[in-house]
Amino acid sequence: MSTPTQTASQAPSGLARLRELWNDYLPYWFMTPMVLVMLLITIFPGAYDLYLSLVKYQLTDPNTVGQFNGLANYERVFTSGGAINSFVITITFVAGALALETGIGFVLAALVTGVKSDRMQTFYRIIFIIPMAVAPVSLATIGRIMLNTEIGIIPYMIQQFTPFVAPNFLSDVPLLTVILVDTWNWTPFMFIIFYAGMSSVPKTLLEASRVDGAPLWRRYVHVIIPYMKPVLFVAILIRLIDLFRTFGLVFSLTSGGPGTATELVSINIFQTGFTFVDLGGAAAIAIVYLVGIIALCNILIIKVGFEGVWD
Amino acid sequence: MTSQRNRKRRNFLKAAGVGLLGGLAGCTRGGDSGGGTGTGDSNSGDGGGDSGGDSEELAIPLSEYENADIDWRQFEGSTINIGAVEHAWVDAIEPAVPVFEELTGIEVVWNVLPEQEFRTKRLTDVSTGAGEWDVFFLDQVVNQFRESGWLQALDPYFEDDSMYDEEWYGMDDLFEATRWQAHGGGYSDTWTGMPITVEVQTQFYRSDLYDEYDLEVAETLEEFRANAQTIHEEEDDIVGTVGRGQQGYGMNIYILNTFIRQFGAELWDSYPGDSGLDSEGAIAAAEWYVNLLQDYGPEGASSQVWSDVLSTMQSGGAGHIVSDANLFWPGLTDPESSDVADQIAVAKAPSPADGEFSPNAFAWQIATSQNAENSEEAFLFMIWASSEPTNTWMHVENGAGFSVRQSVWENDEYRDRVGGNFADVTLESLQEAAPDPFDSQYPEWGQTYSEELQTAIAGSQSAEEAMTDAASAAEDIVSE
Repeated sequence: MSTPTQTASQAPSGLARLRELWNDYLPYWFMTPMVLVMLLITIFPGAYDLYLSLVKYQLTDPNTVGQFNGLANYERVFTSGGAINSFVITITFVAGALALETGIGFVLAALVTGVKSDRMQTFYRIIFIIPMAVAPVSLATIGRIMLNTEIGIIPYMIQQFTPFVAPNFLSDVPLLTVILVDTWNWTPFMFIIFYAGMSSVPKTLLEASRVDGAPLWRRYVHVIIPYMKPVLFVAILIRLIDLFRTFGLVFSLTSGGPGTATELVSINIFQTGFTFVDLGGAAAIAIVYLVGIIALCNILIIKVGFEGVWD
Repeated sequence: MTSQRNRKRRNFLKAAGVGLLGGLAGCTRGGDSGGGTGTGDSNSGDGGGDSGGDSEELAIPLSEYENADIDWRQFEGSTINIGAVEHAWVDAIEPAVPVFEELTGIEVVWNVLPEQEFRTKRLTDVSTGAGEWDVFFLDQVVNQFRESGWLQALDPYFEDDSMYDEEWYGMDDLFEATRWQAHGGGYSDTWTGMPITVEVQTQFYRSDLYDEYDLEVAETLEEFRANAQTIHEEEDDIVGTVGRGQQGYGMNIYILNTFIRQFGAELWDSYPGDSGLDSEGAIAAAEWYVNLLQDYGPEGASSQVWSDVLSTMQSGGAGHIVSDANLFWPGLTDPESSDVADQIAVAKAPSPADGEFSPNAFAWQIATSQNAENSEEAFLFMIWASSEPTNTWMHVENGAGFSVRQSVWENDEYRDRVGGNFADVTLESLQEAAPDPFDSQYPEWGQTYSEELQTAIAGSQSAEEAMTDAASAAEDIVSE
């Protein structure tokens, strides 16, 4: 490539050529380290996982480890390993928790935004964000104690102050319970993003709608929510991906039980890999799970994101 | 010394950890404290004890070991890595480790991890051949590891005159149940490790309630059920009994297996053809345990882990613990952690009127892998750690409560410390104990069996259905 000041007879020196290359491809150079890091931490483990899923890798049978197995791992885990059940449970868990966290997070953000005093707004922000600062495993342990029918405060409060009988949370309604505990843990994440989004809605728009006589709900439906669409979308997408990765909280809370009632895919993978030491089977489940999540997220980004939010 | 340095570092880390927890901050994902999966085997309820005195002074005189016909200094200058789970054994032995270092010239480096993290790290260390740990804790996976060719048998070291002195060591002093477990839980003719702790199932009850309702300590299952019923019905805020209901191969089945044996049945009547789980005795045992928890246990008994069982009893919320680790004793009788410390009493686990008393015992062993670089040094450590002088010191001087040696449970000083009745109950139970057979597939079929039992305790299926399904799953898994 030549610059306008160069002529055909004046070929650039080696150093100048390098400088040209650097300048012309500047964005790519800046991206290169990140791409290399991604290759190292994502592509390589992913490819290795794919390899594991295609070979026999039962650690307790060392003589056969590494033998090509075709799709046998996939067939085996999806016909006898309870993997299908764990996929159904995971989807229920993700849908339930996402809906609750989004809804409650939005309402909390709206309420705090409406508080007149700056000092009180700061106070509420700090209070509401605390559960997110607790490690999921710690939160699950605290949750177990609080939900314990004999010594827990939640069943006690229900019995004392409501006409209802407290359920046995971890045995009668285990999936609902893990959804609620996750909601407790992660609603602050949605709250803080929605709060930031609401705070960025131009005051002039709100003033104009108020002058025009729009009631509060109309201001939300026609002004605030449309303005916040990108924020809502990104927050939901991030939380969706994170929910699919949930492990510690549910594992500490129920270990996947009673029976397999709360056995998320992540728990199923862990048990297959580290309890049954069947790394081939665990890899097969993980590959299907990974492909499913990537596909779902890309469909959402393209269909909802580009065509609905950023169009 | 290194262990002292490590101890200071660990104390600092503990303090930092508490500070972080106090600040409600911490890691975000992936870890697990073992709440759901902890076996309870690692729970001692025993906080270890004092440090053992002045850091300049050895906790145990070297003369206690020097009369052994063992060449303690043959590996002078080397270092061993120990992979350990967070356990009271570590706290109890750490102050004595300088004795080992002084005696042998071998430096000891600890790698102490939370239970779940430890299991994962152990699996990768031995299965990949990394061999980073020369000594590591071993539990129910003993035969999974042994049959995979990862474990190193200790027999050649026992046969080496420079490393083992039979007369000095006193092998017969180790409980038979612990020696049995250190032979792959009865599946191996060779030593898979050395036992370091043992716990046995015992019954805990509220003596004040027994006095109030004029109850006799239950020796049979029928008597136990009647006592639980009385307390359950007479007391508004106290349940008759508590017991582990949570799934996991160290959870509900760890308790039920005792009753299965006592009902005359046996796990794996014939291996690998008949698991015995759907035998008449096994189903009767499951029905008894499931009905007991459903009728006189807490609501939601199916999700109770050992720590729930312990805390319910500590808070005065239960009349009994039907059968669980004797290691609960210090936690239950410590006024700082128990609201009913003065009212807790201990007895042998109940058995059927026409059955044989056969409580479950669990022993942690320490082992070495095929890929460990310093297995000989590791063996010297195992012998030292499980020897009579070290064991006696840990228990008499440093607050431990899990001795694998009969002489410790008979030691007057130790009996004074823990209480004669507790020592007698433990000793008699350990002498009759029958550990679970942990075959190589135990983690897998044990998990499935525990899941089935948990759904029965939760009331989703009958005990008979649970045990029949568990039998079928176990036999399928083992015969694959």
